[in-house]
Amino acid sequence: MVDRLVGLISILLGAGAIWHAQTLHVPFAADPVGPRVFPTVIGAVLILAGGILAARPGKVELEFGTWQRALAVLVASLIYPLLLLPLGFILATALLCFAGSLAFHARPLPAAVSAVATAVVFFVLLDKLLDLPLPRGPLGI
Amino acid sequence: MDAFAALLTGFQVALTPLNLAVAFAGVALGTAIGALPGIGPINAVALLLPLCFALKLPPETALILLAGLYYGSGYGGRISSILLNIPGDPGLVMTTLDGYPLAKSGRGAAALAISGIGSFVGGTSAVILMTFLAVPLARLALSFGPADYVALMVLSFALLGTMSEDKAVKTWIAVALGLLLAMVGIDGGTGVERFTFGSMELLGGIDFTSLTIGLFAVAEILVLAEGMVTGVVSRTGGGAGLSFREILFCVPAMLRATGIGFFLGVLPGTGASVASAMAYTAEKRVSDKGSFGKGDMRGLAAPETADNAAQTGSMVPMLALGIPGSGTTAVMLGAFMMYSITPGPLLFTQRPEVAWGLIASMYIGNLMLLVLNLPLVGLFARLLLVPAWILYPGILALSYAGVYAVSNSAFELTITTAIGILAYAMRKAGIPLIPLMLAFVLARLLEDNFRRALSLSDGGYEILFSTPTSIVLWLLAVLAIGIPAVRQVMQRGRPAVHEA
Repeated sequence: MVDRLVGLISILLGAGAIWHAQTLHVPFAADPVGPRVFPTVIGAVLILAGGILAARPGKVELEFGTWQRALAVLVASLIYPLLLLPLGFILATALLCFAGSLAFHARPLPAAVSAVATAVVFFVLLDKLLDLPLPRGPLGI
Repeated sequence: MDAFAALLTGFQVALTPLNLAVAFAGVALGTAIGALPGIGPINAVALLLPLCFALKLPPETALILLAGLYYGSGYGGRISSILLNIPGDPGLVMTTLDGYPLAKSGRGAAALAISGIGSFVGGTSAVILMTFLAVPLARLALSFGPADYVALMVLSFALLGTMSEDKAVKTWIAVALGLLLAMVGIDGGTGVERFTFGSMELLGGIDFTSLTIGLFAVAEILVLAEGMVTGVVSRTGGGAGLSFREILFCVPAMLRATGIGFFLGVLPGTGASVASAMAYTAEKRVSDKGSFGKGDMRGLAAPETADNAAQTGSMVPMLALGIPGSGTTAVMLGAFMMYSITPGPLLFTQRPEVAWGLIASMYIGNLMLLVLNLPLVGLFARLLLVPAWILYPGILALSYAGVYAVSNSAFELTITTAIGILAYAMRKAGIPLIPLMLAFVLARLLEDNFRRALSLSDGGYEILFSTPTSIVLWLLAVLAIGIPAVRQVMQRGRPAVHEA
């Protein structure tokens, strides 16, 4: 079932790649191949491999643990870039680590402490010691 | 004699204070990161890669650091395999077979010691072999034309397919995805935008560091968050320490494993996991009298030695041919390219300080690792006691901080996470990540050579099969693609018990 789905997605992706390659406008003929051929070949490989997989799927056991925890980490990761510049590295990273810690079974208080500590340690290490500028928050830290 | 002189100049590079410090930092961090459960060599290299660029380290220094992380993590990985029965990466599964029983019977300290010695023997012998083999191999490749390179790359993709336990077609899907991801951005030959969908941010293509971090850090943390990996630390002490006789007892096993590991490491596409599995099986066949799997020292020494020999061996084709032999060396090849250095035949003549500095640093690094890993192994083992809720969020934060430091763009973090989601889905569906990585790194080289070949022949495809070398390589590739297919058909004929 999973293999059939993966095969189908591959076929669609391959078809999309080939279609996209054909829409490319080449301003001048720099070399006889141009930018179209390579994506077309890749698309063909995807369609072929996807077709084989869909036609003769193996058995894939979809195993999930507590996927809600992975989802929590993922959501925190997706929000993180939005907060990074407005809040600054330390605050945003502390929030990311706090959410991450909770997802890894920490109790709230230790999670908060370790999150703030992690954020501060990385800020000092990267920004102060290694001189890699990280975003400052409204307070200038 | 040639190699000796070159190696000496290499030592001059490797022995500068900065490079010594960096080599030490690399191997120590590598051991530490490798020791963490669930985190293997490729994760270690991926994690530190953005920092190397952000710090603007000179190329040889950056590579000494990354290489140190790579073979250092080979030493560290054994700790969680032996004490927790959790292999940090596929190359370490075999280490658990005899390592964990030894630890359970109270001989954890001895098990750690013999595997540390095995890692040293494997790592160092492989560096010696590399010193003498790299240049001849590079000379061989000097005569390669664009068509030969196209065939060589297709062959290394094909070899990846033969080694995957799952279906070979899934490897091809991963390869195609990697090539496709590499197409995003402006085409170098004509300036045409490909797969950018009008997005300004995608014009420059998908950044190599974002891809690596997404594949091997973000996805890893997501999988770990599901909590499928757990274990109980078994005690190190209690039983008798390692005796000199036991070391001697393991020497033949180590030597055999070095040969197997190095050879399989050099073959493009096959990595440490295959090598350690083969070494264990071979050793079992040669010396098993019923004690293997119950805590036989040789059953532990063989895969550990092969693992490290293969890691170093896989750097040979990366340096000499510009074709990586494993996922982690693919990451390193990407690192070379970010410095606009093309590994391959010309590396040893044009940038000897990089090539030989790196090789020389590996002699030093392995010595450092022996010292770090025999008396101080307890310190690294204590890392296993750091709670997951401090460790993994910290790794995630460091990953994003690294990507930001390289790109100075918050949008790049979103791309990284998106790649993490893709990698997570691929892992669930049983599609290997390494071929995607390898294909992404080689894509530019493959397309450039492909187009160069065809512009030589004015568009005629026959040029791809025009030289003897290319014909041999194509035939090998066809074999490598054909054999798993035949095997699958044969298995279909047999009763359903064997169906995976």
